[in-house]
This record gives sequence, C-alpha cells and structure tokens, in this order.
Amino acid sequence: MFLHLSHFQAMVLFALAISVAFGFLSRRPPVERVKYILWSLLLFLLIGVGIGWMMYPFSR
Amino acid sequence: MTEEAQTAEAAEQDPRRERLAVAIGVAAWILPGFGHALQKMWGRALACFLTVGALVVIGAGMRGNLFTSDGGDAFASLGYIADLGAGGFYLVAKSLEVNGADVSRADGDYGTRFLAAAGVLNLLAALHAYEAARGRKA
Repeated sequence: MFLHLSHFQAMVLFALAISVAFGFLSRRPPVERVKYILWSLLLFLLIGVGIGWMMYPFSR
Repeated sequence: MTEEAQTAEAAEQDPRRERLAVAIGVAAWILPGFGHALQKMWGRALACFLTVGALVVIGAGMRGNLFTSDGGDAFASLGYIADLGAGGFYLVAKSLEVNGADVSRADGDYGTRFLAAAGVLNLLAALHAYEAARGRKA
C-alpha cells in the first residue's frame, strides 16, 4: 500500500483527524462539538497556509 | 475547593477506584477508544478509534518511519515513545509497512508525523479516559 498525497491533502487530512479528536474529547454537547471541530479545522488550515506563505521568500 | 477537585481527591483516597481508573487508562492505550467505551462514552470511543486508526493507516500508507527500540539517538527514542503511544495500532502500522519506510520522499516524511501524531493523540485520549474514570468532569 502506498498513498500519494499532495502537501495540501495531507494537511487537510491531518487537520481533520486532530480537530475531530479534540472536539470529541473537549466538548460534550453535540452543537458545541461541531462548532469546535469546524473552528479548529479552519484555524489549522489558515495557520498552515499562512506559515507556508511566510516561508515562501526563503524557498528559493 | 471545587466539586471536581473534591471528586478527584475522593478517588485518590479510594484505592479500588484508583486501580480501576489506571486499568481503564491502560485499556485505552492498548486499544484506542476502549477506555471510553468501558465508561459508555460511545461517541468519544468511536472518535478516538477512528481518528487514531485513520492517522496510523494514512501514515503507514505514506510509508512513514515507524521507530523501533534500537533507534540509537534521542530523537529516535522520542519517536519510538510517540509511536508506541498508538498502543495496539503500533503493530497494525508495522504489519501495513511491508516494504519498510521511505523518507526520501515528502510522503514518507509526512507519514512519520502522522504516525507520531496518532500515538500522542492516543496518549491524550488515554489520559482523558483515566481522568474521567477518577470522577473528574469530562
């Protein structure tokens, strides 16, 4: 088995898994969980892409 | 003192409950989600099992490096501890990686992080299950 994932796909999958786990472990009411998962996922992606762009000037 | 702290203190004073909590923590480490399932927290149990399982399968599928006990340096030892955190899924990852790791590509390097994250996440979940079993509000 060998998965070929792009950087972005790997980041999304990672962020999704961690957000879901954190959401279920830290919140009990379902609505709160969903809010937490979505918010956490959004922040993971925004910060990940943001750091990527910050490193862009040093990439070449 | 808060009610939560009082409950935790009561658990410390009750050796039977403390032993049960430790057993639940160990069970949660060996099989991700099992500690929560024993306490009838079905949603959390399923979430832990699926997320840790997904991270392990993806990490092994990307041919991430699964550290072993004979790593040789401090980073390898830390990686081994993180990987071992996945409990029984460490063996699953080992059985999936029939061709060994390949960190010469970015995929393999990311896979290594997925495997370590799975272990650390499972340790966190096991600690959560242990705390819940001690009576701490979860």
